[in-house]
Amino acid sequence: MIVAAWICLVAPLAAALLITLLGNGISRRAAGYIATTSVLGSFAAAVVVFAKLWSEAPSDRSHASTAWEWLTAGSFHVGLRILVDPLSVFMMLVVSGVGFLIVAYSIGYMDGDNEERRYFAYMALFVFSMLLLVQAGNLVILLAGWGLVGLSSYLLIGFWHDRPEAVSAAKKAFIMNAVGDATMALAFFLLIQHNQSLNFPDAFAVGPGHGWLVNLVALGLLGGAVAKSAQIPLQTWLPDAMEGPTPVSALIHAATMVTAGVYLIVRTHSVFEQAPRVEELAAGLGAGTLLVAGLIALVQTDIKRVIAYSTMSQIGYMFLGAGLGAYGNAMFHLMTHAFFKALLFLAAGVVIHALAGEQDIGKLAGVGRLLPVTRITFLIASLALVGVPPFAGFFSKDSIIASALARGWYGDVLFATALIGTFLTGLYTWRLFLIVFTGEPSAFVREHLIGRSHASGQEGAHEDEVSGAHEHDVHEHKGEGPFWMMAPVLVLAVLSVIGGWIQFATLWDAVSNWLDGVAPPLATPSGSQEAVASVLAVVLALAGIGTAYLFYGSRKLAVPRIAWAQTLLEHKFYFDEAYDFAFYRPSVALAKALGRWIEGPIIGGSVRELVAGIRDAALGTSRLQTGLVRSYALAIAASLAVITIVFVAVR
Amino acid sequence: MRGPDIAWYLAVAAFLFATGVLGVLLRRSPLIVLLSLEIMLNGANLALIAFSRLHGESSGQIFALAVMAVAASEVVVGLGLIVAIAQKRLDLDVDKLSFLRG
Repeated sequence: MIVAAWICLVAPLAAALLITLLGNGISRRAAGYIATTSVLGSFAAAVVVFAKLWSEAPSDRSHASTAWEWLTAGSFHVGLRILVDPLSVFMMLVVSGVGFLIVAYSIGYMDGDNEERRYFAYMALFVFSMLLLVQAGNLVILLAGWGLVGLSSYLLIGFWHDRPEAVSAAKKAFIMNAVGDATMALAFFLLIQHNQSLNFPDAFAVGPGHGWLVNLVALGLLGGAVAKSAQIPLQTWLPDAMEGPTPVSALIHAATMVTAGVYLIVRTHSVFEQAPRVEELAAGLGAGTLLVAGLIALVQTDIKRVIAYSTMSQIGYMFLGAGLGAYGNAMFHLMTHAFFKALLFLAAGVVIHALAGEQDIGKLAGVGRLLPVTRITFLIASLALVGVPPFAGFFSKDSIIASALARGWYGDVLFATALIGTFLTGLYTWRLFLIVFTGEPSAFVREHLIGRSHASGQEGAHEDEVSGAHEHDVHEHKGEGPFWMMAPVLVLAVLSVIGGWIQFATLWDAVSNWLDGVAPPLATPSGSQEAVASVLAVVLALAGIGTAYLFYGSRKLAVPRIAWAQTLLEHKFYFDEAYDFAFYRPSVALAKALGRWIEGPIIGGSVRELVAGIRDAALGTSRLQTGLVRSYALAIAASLAVITIVFVAVR
Repeated sequence: MRGPDIAWYLAVAAFLFATGVLGVLLRRSPLIVLLSLEIMLNGANLALIAFSRLHGESSGQIFALAVMAVAASEVVVGLGLIVAIAQKRLDLDVDKLSFLRG
């Protein structure tokens, strides 16, 4: 079983290395096949591990394995150690399973790109990093996986490196993540210093009576989690990260990497439980993010950015759940969210692919009629996102909301926030769906999809070029996209429908039971609380959908225009501007001042003075060199004479 | 003890060496400077051989032979330089050949 876990871990790394080393020796397609096969292999290995773990007694479900140790100091060991327990297997299944579908989708989506091999090498590297993160058995490996995930995210966001926006988005993501990495590393150092152990779970076992230490560590870990999961206040990188290719957005910025923060909180729950204030802060940040992101999503005009904000909002729910101690529910939502959010992105990718990279929803309006399969899958994903039964999101999101009810007055506040969030989710999701997928096709869509196929047919094929294009389009139209794109979309659509059925709160709790051994929940809502939460959430979600329909479907109501609110939302609550003002400008001003007053006169000046001094001394010395051989000879003879006289005299 | 006292030999050697030194210091023709160098070396050789004979062992003589070999090589180089200077039609005057002035 441990062997399978290692195979799961190294298969994508091997693929990344293979693609890199073979270089131009393989076709672009082959690179895609290698990456896809390796991730499929990972998934198969993860399934094997899961099956073996399933057959064991719940108390025995934790296995660690160390490949080698590279540092030993007394009782302190640092080694490549992986830990296989229900939590890591759960994440392995989600990462490699959804990862496989998205990498396979990429074969179709990236077809024809000049640098497909590099893309697939990066994708495989990302999957490896993510698996390393979730399988890590000690703090160092967790930190390594955490950093590698940030790196591959940087590489993939900036994949189209000839676009300045992509490059700056990649840098922004990396820097925001680095802030979190730093606080997390500091927390790890404190833990290592205190516990003298790197290995899970000893590393997190801080005994009682270390109040400030536990709080500091929890804050540091929360910083890392918040940065990686794009929660307030480090959330601004995620929408910009949509500059990357769409499958990257699906894999990294929806399904896997951004959920790493939730995984971290669940993994280190014993620390958080001793720092209840920080835990409440995590839940509060989640609640704040889900509201803020839901509001901003209402005014975004880029299809991928709307989905990105909904990702932030959904991860807000997971933080809410994890912060309240409903670990199983948070992880369950993580899984269903991976399904339907990946589906949303991939379906949006089909649209973007069909329309030559256009992402503006105004231009994409009405494309649904021409892409019926995509419309249905997007509808399924939207229903799952909004949480309409029996789609996946209903089961997972509502149990998080119900957990809030079980946690006192603070929980009640969060409960209300989460309910407002479901209303907003319904509103912005249906705004997107109704604009893009219903109604009459826009001029842009007509031009791209109908214009080239139907129009040319009507005009008659008097030009060979036109009829050629016609045939090509008809061929593509048959499936709306290549096989490699549509197959993963359909699989994810099925998962978005049935993925939630594995857990029905209070009746059967497969996911929660599976994870209870690792992270026993603090909040267990009663049956009536579940029922109340579900009914309210569904009613509000449907209200959101209905409101959106009035605005964007039937157009019975005009969209209200409140200038200040719109400006506020379009500027994303001025987070970017605030950071610009608080960090960027002072840094630049400081750098300029240092350059002007320190670098120039003191550092540069001292070097210049030193050089001038040495040059003067050298010029003075060089005068001794007259070039007259006889004067040298005289100097030699005279000194010899002096030396001789001295020797004789001294003796 | 055969022959004159060691002091005589050393006196002649010192005289030769002093002559050479004066020649190097005072004359400006590179040819004469080279000749004076040879005279200095020969003064030193004479002292070496005198001591060798005084102590009855041969290392001084071997040393003198080595000096002669070095002197011959040095003359070859020196004369080659002088010929080269003459070919460039430069003045054969060590004071004017001061291009390496700092």
